[in-house]
Amino acid sequence: MRHPSTLPITLGELARIQPLAAAEPHLADPARKVEQVVLAETFERLRRCTPHGLVVLHNEAATGGWSLAAALHLAWERNLSAVVVARSVAGDSSVALAERLTMSLIVIDDDPIDVALHLAGQVSAPAAARALRQARLAEQLAEQTGIRGVLGVLNRELQQVPVALVMGGVVLGGQSAALTERPHVRQIEVEVHAPGERSTARLVAAVPVPGPADQVESLLRLARPSLQAAWAQSRLDAAARAAHEQAAFGLLRRLAGDPAPEPAEPAGVEAPGWAGELGWQVGEANRAVWLAPVRPAGEPAPEITFMIRASWQRGHTTWPLVAEGDGWISWHSSADPDDVTALRRALAGFRDSAVAHRLVIGVGRAHDGVAGLMRSVAEARLAAHVAREDGPGAVQWFDQVGANAALAWLPTTEIAQVADLCLEDLMAARDRAALVQTVLAVLDAGGSLSQASQQLGVHRNTVLARLSRARQFGLTYDEPGQRLALHVLCYALTSLWSDVTEAPS
Amino acid sequence: MTQPGYVGASSSITADDVPAFYEGAKFYSPAVGDANKSSVNSWLAGLLDRNGPVPLLKVEGVPPETPCVSVCVLGSGSAMADLPPAGDEFELAVRQIERLQRVEFGAVYPLAAATISALVAVVTAAQLRVPLLDADGMGRAFALIHHTSMHLSGVSPTPLAAVGPTGESVLVEVPAGPRADRMLRANVDTVGGWAALAAYPTTAGVLRRAALPGTVSRIANVGRLLLDRTDPDLLVTRLGAITGCRRLARGRIAELEHLSRPSDVTIPAHPSSLVVDEVGGLGRQLRIELRSEIVAVFADGALIAGAPDLMCLLDVSRGALATLDSLEPGDLIDVLVTPADAVWYSPRGIEMVGMGSHGIPLAHPRRR
Repeated sequence: MRHPSTLPITLGELARIQPLAAAEPHLADPARKVEQVVLAETFERLRRCTPHGLVVLHNEAATGGWSLAAALHLAWERNLSAVVVARSVAGDSSVALAERLTMSLIVIDDDPIDVALHLAGQVSAPAAARALRQARLAEQLAEQTGIRGVLGVLNRELQQVPVALVMGGVVLGGQSAALTERPHVRQIEVEVHAPGERSTARLVAAVPVPGPADQVESLLRLARPSLQAAWAQSRLDAAARAAHEQAAFGLLRRLAGDPAPEPAEPAGVEAPGWAGELGWQVGEANRAVWLAPVRPAGEPAPEITFMIRASWQRGHTTWPLVAEGDGWISWHSSADPDDVTALRRALAGFRDSAVAHRLVIGVGRAHDGVAGLMRSVAEARLAAHVAREDGPGAVQWFDQVGANAALAWLPTTEIAQVADLCLEDLMAARDRAALVQTVLAVLDAGGSLSQASQQLGVHRNTVLARLSRARQFGLTYDEPGQRLALHVLCYALTSLWSDVTEAPS
Repeated sequence: MTQPGYVGASSSITADDVPAFYEGAKFYSPAVGDANKSSVNSWLAGLLDRNGPVPLLKVEGVPPETPCVSVCVLGSGSAMADLPPAGDEFELAVRQIERLQRVEFGAVYPLAAATISALVAVVTAAQLRVPLLDADGMGRAFALIHHTSMHLSGVSPTPLAAVGPTGESVLVEVPAGPRADRMLRANVDTVGGWAALAAYPTTAGVLRRAALPGTVSRIANVGRLLLDRTDPDLLVTRLGAITGCRRLARGRIAELEHLSRPSDVTIPAHPSSLVVDEVGGLGRQLRIELRSEIVAVFADGALIAGAPDLMCLLDVSRGALATLDSLEPGDLIDVLVTPADAVWYSPRGIEMVGMGSHGIPLAHPRRR
């Protein structure tokens, strides 16, 4: 069991619990400790206060504007922590004077004697007061249903201590200032296991040193269940939304694919009203973006979709994100087809996440209407396939993709399976990669052995030797009837094997 | 007759001195408005024109056995503007005490050489054709009629007579001075809202030790300085030479707080507060506490001046005194403080007219 802190309670902590939680605080320094509470009826009593006390003004000492001014001055002279006074006495100018003297002023609506008694109890038993604060925080946390809400409560409660929820280096919520390393600041971490999640998120708080590290940690632990619940809830929400978006996008696609029912609509299909409900815009210039994993592995898990959505939609909450096949579709609509600044900025911001999740990105051209959007989606997908050659984080704009795009569509895995069946001997050979690579280089060079040897960086004779060995295994590249098939096969095998060697084991 | 701009001793008061007299009287009671100004000034100037100048004598210049009586206006100045004097109230009040005591007063002196009371003392002297003594009982204006140096010296305010504009009069005789004010207050409303008061009948010999000397000629000199509209800085320097006043701070009015706070019932007034942001200097926040006059000035919460100091506000843009009912947020003002006569800083004086009597239980900055 951890021992509760017995450090003197601070002004900031007192202001968080009743009775001061209902007051109007003007705190000069929330970290200021409070060692004693004095109920001052007279100025004589005020003059006898010891430093670091909190004084509650009452009766003669709280008769009017002048009395508060004089009390603030005395409090400043006596190095007191704060002055508490009834609202009937405090005006704007008193607040201004308190600020000028850097003296904390707390304006209350309750009876000063009651408040003083409460405060005296809290100051004499700081651990109890802290427990009260934690209980109050727990109540507040329990009311929150979203991750943002939970972190909002934490950040409000901890004031000068920024808190963030982090997963794999990506800030999912809260203040990212919690992550920056600064002098005299210690980072406190609490792990948060999302239900059914392999990876764990961390709740990070940057606590000043010396500071209430223990209390912060217990508050973070307190927030953990709420956070897990909020996470599960938001995943449910996200799953529902993803399904909604998928269905909506399917409808859009059908709209675009259907032959126009009336020939009087040459401009194409209008965006249906329900697209707006999702926040989607289908305008004059729709430029689609395809986010796809470098190595497709079937339909992505909902968790991944959730995280991709979180980072992709940061700052662009209206941009759609539709899970489609092995990737995600998004698009950006604007009036000007050449306006890509927003998109470029978003892509730059997404780069880290793309690398972290091993994604590539394809961008289509801008086209009009729903039909144009579908065309742009197809282009983006094609571009994404081309982008895979450049590894994670790569962005490929369709405008810059030529006929090479066709190669990107080759089902390399299936073709490789064909090779397994047709060229059994070759596939069994230990030097198969070198052989296939050499044949590909010769075919790429249009049969020129010298160019091929130059490209491979080996001697021409080596090329010749490999070619003859390849021919034994059935790679009869110089037979015109088989040349195209073998060229495609070699290309597929080479790109597949190079992926394998590139990919981490 | 004195030349315009003359500052110094004088032996008589003429019609030409009336405007300066009025301004000077206002300096020593800054809360008073200007409602009566023209009517009282022309009344007094007419009297002095008809009856000739009023001799202004030092107390020592009068034989000690000369019977003397003080006069003042009791009640509110605005009531006096609503129901102007018939003209004989002060004379009647003095005559009543003469009848009662079977004496004939040889000199008149103001109860307070400030406010309209300073002027009515001149009026009374002119009507009775007796000299005016260059002395008074307060040296400024205080709220109650026993707040006088005579009271501190053991001179009884009674028998006293109060005559209202209705022609009705009240004659009061009490063994304990402070009771007189209470009894009078109850009657002032009935006789017309204000009353002409004749009180503290005594002799010049007693006044030599009991009254504050030189206070009447002082307001004439102060008034001449104030009428000579000049640069505020120069004005403050000149006033300082005559009255010992100095500028506490110059600032802009930030806030007027009109609060109805519980206050000491002995002094009828509604407490309120004025917040002034100091311009230049330390940029302090000044808080000026108002009752029927300015009773305390705090700078950043520290008491820097308080009753019985005389505090007044100088409107910097006009170079003239600002009355408390004319203040507006945004006005640039000088806060001036003038020490009261030394007798008010004695323990008994402080107890009677110090900040404690206005509900401010703090030690006076001159006594710490």
